[in-house]
Amino acid sequence: MTDWSRISDRWRPAAAAVALVAVAFVVAGLALAAYGDRLYRAQKTKEIEVQAQIVADSVTAALAFDDQSVAQEYVNALRANPEVEAAGVYDERGALAASYARSRADAPPQTVRLAGPTFQGSHVRVVAPVVQNGARLGAVYLQAATEPTIRRLARYGGAALLALMAALVIAVLAAAQATLRTVNRALRDRAHDLAEANQMLRVQIAERERAEEALRQSQKMEAIGQLTGGVAHDFNNLLMVVSSGLDLMERTTNPERRAMLRDSVRQALDRGASLTRQLLAFSRRSALKPEVVDLKAQIEGTQVLLERSLREDITVEMDLADDLWPVEIDPSQLELSLINIAVNARDAMPSGGLLRVTAENRPGLAEDGPARRLCARHRHGQRRGASTPSCWTGCSSRSSPPRRVGRGTGLGLSQVYGFTPRLGRGRCASAAASARARRSPCTCRARTRTWPPGRRRRRRPTRRAAAAGCAAVEDDESVAMLVGEMLTELGYEPSRAATAEEALRRLEAGGRFDLVFSDMVMPGAMNGIELAREIRRRLPALPVVLTTASARPSAAATAEGLRLVLKPYRIDRLAAELEAARSGRRTAAGGR
Amino acid sequence: MSARRPASSTAPGRVPALVLAALALAGAPAAARANPLETAIKATFLYKFAAFVDWPDRAFPSPNSPVTICVVGKDPLGPTLDRAVNGQRLGARPITVRRVARLDAQSGCQILYAASPKDSADALKAAHGAPILTVTDAMPDGVDSSGGIIQFVVRENHVRFYIDEAQAQGSGLSINAKLLSLAVSVKGRS
Repeated sequence: MTDWSRISDRWRPAAAAVALVAVAFVVAGLALAAYGDRLYRAQKTKEIEVQAQIVADSVTAALAFDDQSVAQEYVNALRANPEVEAAGVYDERGALAASYARSRADAPPQTVRLAGPTFQGSHVRVVAPVVQNGARLGAVYLQAATEPTIRRLARYGGAALLALMAALVIAVLAAAQATLRTVNRALRDRAHDLAEANQMLRVQIAERERAEEALRQSQKMEAIGQLTGGVAHDFNNLLMVVSSGLDLMERTTNPERRAMLRDSVRQALDRGASLTRQLLAFSRRSALKPEVVDLKAQIEGTQVLLERSLREDITVEMDLADDLWPVEIDPSQLELSLINIAVNARDAMPSGGLLRVTAENRPGLAEDGPARRLCARHRHGQRRGASTPSCWTGCSSRSSPPRRVGRGTGLGLSQVYGFTPRLGRGRCASAAASARARRSPCTCRARTRTWPPGRRRRRRPTRRAAAAGCAAVEDDESVAMLVGEMLTELGYEPSRAATAEEALRRLEAGGRFDLVFSDMVMPGAMNGIELAREIRRRLPALPVVLTTASARPSAAATAEGLRLVLKPYRIDRLAAELEAARSGRRTAAGGR
Repeated sequence: MSARRPASSTAPGRVPALVLAALALAGAPAAARANPLETAIKATFLYKFAAFVDWPDRAFPSPNSPVTICVVGKDPLGPTLDRAVNGQRLGARPITVRRVARLDAQSGCQILYAASPKDSADALKAAHGAPILTVTDAMPDGVDSSGGIIQFVVRENHVRFYIDEAQAQGSGLSINAKLLSLAVSVKGRS
């Protein structure tokens, strides 16, 4: 106990001081007692002397004229004072004239001589002269009892004891104070240590967080690495379809066959586009295109797709309420999510089972209104007749069931993970990693909406009656060529510029331009947005339509109220946007 | 103030020296039948009275002049008085005794004692109004208003005295209350 030794070290001077104070108290008490004793004796002596003097003054006449009876009366009057033990009146020759004694032992002497007061034990004796008008007539002797010394000492002892106790109290208080100070110091030290430890812990936590972030990044990189293989495989298949489709189209003139081939090529391209969307969604750089959808119809539409992506030993069950509220959601992302969840569910059920997709209205869930709940469940087939459905969640990549390397791209759950938190208030209710997560449903809440007035219908792109001048800004040669073809097809007269600066020069040079269609990410000093700003400044009447494939520039464009077409787009979409831009209307997308 | 506390009416038997066996005949003149013990007591009393009386300043020629006891006429005390007074002092004043045939202005007495009635009558007349403590023996039949300021009397075999305080006041004397308290009786002041 170093603390205690420290305390006792600190205590040593304090203890010495306390002992000194105690000794001082005792000495002072003794001195006081001695002084008090002296004072008492002096006072007692004075008292008896005064009494003797009073008697002496009273008995003058009686003594002078030998009236012994009167003298005796005076002496007897002293009986009233219990302290007086003996008294005697002596005439001028020193002979006893009258006397009084409380006991035989206290009898006054037969003769007396004038002398000062004397103490003998607890008795005091005084002799007072009897004088009248300067004539000495005799003497008075008095013997009185004083308080016994032992009793006086006992009284002083009591006082000394009190003083000692006072000293003790002071000592105890001082000790308490010293201890308190020591403990306070120890507490302060401990608090300081604690603060330091806390600081160290914070540093460690920050380091750990950095390490975890790095780990996540590396995991992501690893996932991307794994993805690349799968994506390349998918893309190769798509390219195969496109390539073979085009080859076959060149060799046949049968319009039915050509239409079939064209459809298959178109399908492959759509899949490719959806794949890139998936990739972008994974990297979180895709702009969502939410619209108000009927969940029941949307989910039922995916059933065939689901069944195709699952095995025969897995049954798909749809449990969809009829009165589902309309929700605002990106339909393709929703489909992808469902497919990804299903694929993961398939991997989690190697021996087959049941996959149930549920959608229901849950008014209580939403914080700001009714919410929808989607649920995908699967039941393990290993336990035949198992009545308890076990749920698996695909909401978080962490809670995904263990996958074997080489099975699919691994993109699925990442897509779900990226998609659900982006639905505004959408969120996965089930918590992350735990064994129980496999039994809990994936609950995703979506913002509910009312149907917009009149659904938008797709219009067939119509060729414009009169050709309009159009400046197309695109750095990629092949893309530029195809975009030019599409613009020509739509009745525009495209004029291509490779950079923003070149486009500005063309516009400055004059010529009839009805609108500018520009890519957003381009080489050179200006990007698409800056070009649009410049055009708006110089030629406010000239409409500008931008296009991009990435999410961040698109968000910037919509923030500035610029019209935007997301890549990849189809010709009818492009036709609608350009027409809207020329007519000055704003589409829902553009307005957002 | 006429009725003073009477002096001890009962003597507790501690005064054998004062037993006056010779005083068998109360009616006989005190001076004629005085025995030595009575004489000695009277002599002692005479000078002791001085301690209980205050004289006016005019009674003494100087602060240190003695207190003079004058015995007028017949002297029954004789050398007893001289022995008793010898060496006694009243503060700074010595006490002396003078014997005179008759009192006059040159006598310089502060205390006068006249034993015989004849002498006392003259002396008292002479001392009237003067600051002199006059002491006489009382008549056998009682206190005589024509006696001195203090009159000796023998009661129950003790020498006692009367005090005429009125006469003392007339003479400019002041008598201590302690002395008054020992008197057999006091004639109070007017």
